[in-house]
Amino acid sequence: MLRTVKPKNARSKRALQAREPKEVEDPRTAIFVKGTHTGEKVNGVMKELMALKRPHAISFAKKNVVRPFEDTSSLEFWAQKNDASLFLIGQSTKKRPDGLTFVRMFDYRVLDMVEVGVDMFKSMNEFKTPKATPGHKPLLHFASELFDTHPRFIQLKSMLMDFFNGEVIDQICLAGIEHVISISLGPTPPSLNATTTTLQASTSSAPAEDPASLPKVHIRGYTIRLLASGTRVPRVELTPMGPYIDLSLRRHQEADGELLKQAMKRPKLRKQEVEKGLGKKRKNLEVDEMGDLRGRIHVGKQDLSKLQTRKMKGLKKGRDGEMDVDESEEDEDEGGGRRRKRQRSE
Amino acid sequence: MDVSDILAAHAAKQKSVTVEKEIPLEVDTGFLTVTDLNPVDAESYEANLEEYLMSTARDGIQTLLASLFSLPTTSSPDGPLAQLPAPTTHLPRAKPLPKPKPMTKWEKFAKAKGIQKKRRDKKIWDEEKQEWVDRWGWKGANKAKETQWLSEVPANADVDYDPAKVARDARKARVAKNEKQRQQNLARAAQEMGPSAAPAPVDVRKKQIDRTLAVTRTSTASMGKFDRKLEGEKKLKGMKRKFEPTEMSAESEKSHNLAILSKLDKEPAAKKSKKTAEGSDVLNVRKAIRATSKGKGSAALASGGKGGKGKKGKR
Repeated sequence: MLRTVKPKNARSKRALQAREPKEVEDPRTAIFVKGTHTGEKVNGVMKELMALKRPHAISFAKKNVVRPFEDTSSLEFWAQKNDASLFLIGQSTKKRPDGLTFVRMFDYRVLDMVEVGVDMFKSMNEFKTPKATPGHKPLLHFASELFDTHPRFIQLKSMLMDFFNGEVIDQICLAGIEHVISISLGPTPPSLNATTTTLQASTSSAPAEDPASLPKVHIRGYTIRLLASGTRVPRVELTPMGPYIDLSLRRHQEADGELLKQAMKRPKLRKQEVEKGLGKKRKNLEVDEMGDLRGRIHVGKQDLSKLQTRKMKGLKKGRDGEMDVDESEEDEDEGGGRRRKRQRSE
Repeated sequence: MDVSDILAAHAAKQKSVTVEKEIPLEVDTGFLTVTDLNPVDAESYEANLEEYLMSTARDGIQTLLASLFSLPTTSSPDGPLAQLPAPTTHLPRAKPLPKPKPMTKWEKFAKAKGIQKKRRDKKIWDEEKQEWVDRWGWKGANKAKETQWLSEVPANADVDYDPAKVARDARKARVAKNEKQRQQNLARAAQEMGPSAAPAPVDVRKKQIDRTLAVTRTSTASMGKFDRKLEGEKKLKGMKRKFEPTEMSAESEKSHNLAILSKLDKEPAAKKSKKTAEGSDVLNVRKAIRATSKGKGSAALASGGKGGKGKKGKR
């Protein structure tokens, strides 16, 4: 465990404060660690992913003896030391060639892990096309129904979203949208169709599934070209940018239930958000396009019998017989004139 | 006028930016993410992988951009900024939620009384100098009394009465009082966070080491009796047990047993502290009665209220 340091000056105090838990979190910093041996392929993948993850990336230049599925103590130490909460560990062994492990941390402890093998890698340099500006946020595209049904792919999606886009932002510059990272799967094998997976889940709680039967994962980077379409929404064309990576799933570690519950806690919604309509709905209140808060109130049923309408002589009670033709015509005039006329006639 | 041409042209334009899929795409604009839940078409996947991947990605991104461009925007020098809604996907946090800061004694009191916090300006206007001066600090306004060249002296003052020193002492006392209150607030906060809040890690480790050492010392065949002693090594202290004498007076025995019974009767300490915290902990009732009855007590307050009214009525 690291020594808890009491700040001795304002600068170190600020630095420590920046590490404290926040309600709305900063993007996760990823540490790129190389294991005892990494092949050319893994090196390339890590380099390109780092280029995409920048500036929230830290690279460990030296090799480290690290086995995330056996011992997580060094990961926890690095996480605390660097204030990072994501790891990408590249390691190539005889048993598991070209392996990449995504590790996600919560409170400087390992939350969950996904190990993938790199089957194919095509670098960004092989495409002679314009590249996205470093630091711009990518759009993410996931394609396959397994991202909604299969636990392994739900975990992978959550992990990749955290890796590329896991930051809550309240606005984005539309002109700054430059690239897409598309994550697609191979065709769903018949053993994994919706019906069979649910059956499996109901019959056996932990099916010892062969990761080889899972479809491949294709990660593709594209840049976006926006063409005028004549409508407000432009037409999108994609240009290959790279990297092109094909992955196959290997080992994984699910999040511990208690830890995950803590990690999924949400802050209470603030007043401003409640007014926007998030969270508990406030009845009969809405903010219109001009930004004004408009409310609707309920007024009880009106008693129309006592409503004062236009006064007409003809409708008066009591005086019936003494009505002139002239006066009934002048009733249509405004009240002042009428009164004058009446005085004159009297 | 025939508008069918215009409508047809508009429809054609729309066609290039709309995407039709069997299962509508799931868009999470907060995280700029789109999920295409349609099953992968094995035929075109086999035929031309890259083309297929790019075309599905294009369709997905077109849908995502359509929802991004329909968001309300604000203008900025770099182009329009789309106001994103909160994300619908829940990702785990990297660190636990921040704990709310424990309230100070004054904050608790102000909350109970409904006192709003007022922000005091850091500077105040100095009429003499005709400029803004700091309230405290270097050449601060709180030191004006100590530095002024002429000060009032009370008529019954001592011979060695020093007005500057009196003002300075009063200021120093205020600072000391504030610091004391701050320390008390810190102590109270530590108490609230958990009375048994974790002791310093150093102390925990020290205890652990001591315990391990004690165990190892008695772990030999002779239970440590014939081991070589290090210089300055102390003798192990065992548990000391103390027994009451077999004969004791009836009175002391009775009081002893009654003490146990009363202990059983009491409600747990945790519950009790919660109850007091809810109610009158913030407001010191005794002090409030003293203040409102001007030191006469609650009985006087009950009867005095009527008396006061009577007097008013007479007038």
